[in-house]
Amino acid sequence: MFQAHRPAYIRRLHALVPLCLALLCAACSVSTITLSGNYPAPLTRKLPLTVGVYYPEELRSFSYVETDDESGEDQYIIESGAAQVQLFNTVLPAMFESVVQLDTLEMVGANPQLDAVFVPVLEEFQLGLPSKTKLNVYEIWLKYNMRLSKANGDYIADWVMNAYGNSPDENFQSVDAGVKDAATVAMRDLAASLSLGFAGVAGIDEWLRENDSIP
Amino acid sequence: MKLPRRFTPSLPVLCSLVLLQACTTTEIDEFRQGQTTIGNGDKIVILGRRQSNNYETEGSFVNCVANVVSSGRDGITVVPEREFLDAMFPFFEPRTAPMRTSHLKELMDIDVAKQRIEEYGIEYIVWVDGVTQRSEQAGTISCAVGPGGGGCFGFGTWQDDANFEAEIWDMDTLTTVGSISTDANGQSYMPALVVPIPLIARVEANACNGLGRQLRSFLNGG
Repeated sequence: MFQAHRPAYIRRLHALVPLCLALLCAACSVSTITLSGNYPAPLTRKLPLTVGVYYPEELRSFSYVETDDESGEDQYIIESGAAQVQLFNTVLPAMFESVVQLDTLEMVGANPQLDAVFVPVLEEFQLGLPSKTKLNVYEIWLKYNMRLSKANGDYIADWVMNAYGNSPDENFQSVDAGVKDAATVAMRDLAASLSLGFAGVAGIDEWLRENDSIP
Repeated sequence: MKLPRRFTPSLPVLCSLVLLQACTTTEIDEFRQGQTTIGNGDKIVILGRRQSNNYETEGSFVNCVANVVSSGRDGITVVPEREFLDAMFPFFEPRTAPMRTSHLKELMDIDVAKQRIEEYGIEYIVWVDGVTQRSEQAGTISCAVGPGGGGCFGFGTWQDDANFEAEIWDMDTLTTVGSISTDANGQSYMPALVVPIPLIARVEANACNGLGRQLRSFLNGG
């Protein structure tokens, strides 16, 4: 009975309630940004080596949490594990004659053809958002600790690699797109440094000479 | 005899045209160091410099120049920047790209890189470096919405200054054959009387058109 006499503008306002609630929830919730991307294989001459690669669980499932400076609550979660594994799976086969992916380091013994074992460890991930840095760019820094050992576990090299990527903050661009673009640049930077600098890393150069594998 | 009616534009139209036309000035300088010719099947690639910490040449500007160079009767085939960067990866990334022709010579000593450049038939590499900067921003615009409607009132103005330089490398001689620089600037206005009326100076678009046309002419030997 009452329903029939309710003015039209009230009914319209009631229709807006779910929308307002949805907007309020969206303002409070955490945004998850999952990085992905197609990376080109580097144009390098392959080293005549068979290398096993082990991706630690921390790398495979790595996610970075950016917190709100004022509230201290989670603001963005950037999931980058899959993208990093994808990058290494593209770069390493272009660098070595053969690459064997190892699920555990114990699998090394079951692969006697391996010349070396490569383990990338992501030590630091930093994000620069234009809203916080007041710069007109999205920025991403990555710091890796790369480890290369012989199949028997003997040390070859352990070195730090930094990568950086940025992307200009364009009009009407979403944070999601800006972060993804910056991450792609950073990943490419990492791939470029790794593929071009690998043979020159202290310890690796000597080991390559010993194996007659100098490029 | 009926005389033809003279065209008498209304005052607002005239004012708008004057404002829109007078907003941008573009200056182009060319410096030639060697002869250039483009044969059938020859291609070029236009790349943006992205080494600076302060700015990076926008991909959209590089694409715009590439579109201008490849258009028209004497248009030149331009390999898309992204395709070239992926094909030459990792040699033209921000941290690894050759900065001078001496670095280019070192790059061409790497057989895989040289082979890929030859496969693409790249005759010239054009490096575009520059940025558009905004300055002299002034004025305010206020907007309000009420039960009876909404509107804006105020005035805003700003200046855009686009400075770009293109350096052309000959892939046969591995030398710099010239450079073209463009400097475009213009004042934009945004008066708002209920509705904001943007009178935007097309500074970057003018810089792109000017640079692209000059580059096309330069490469064709003009």
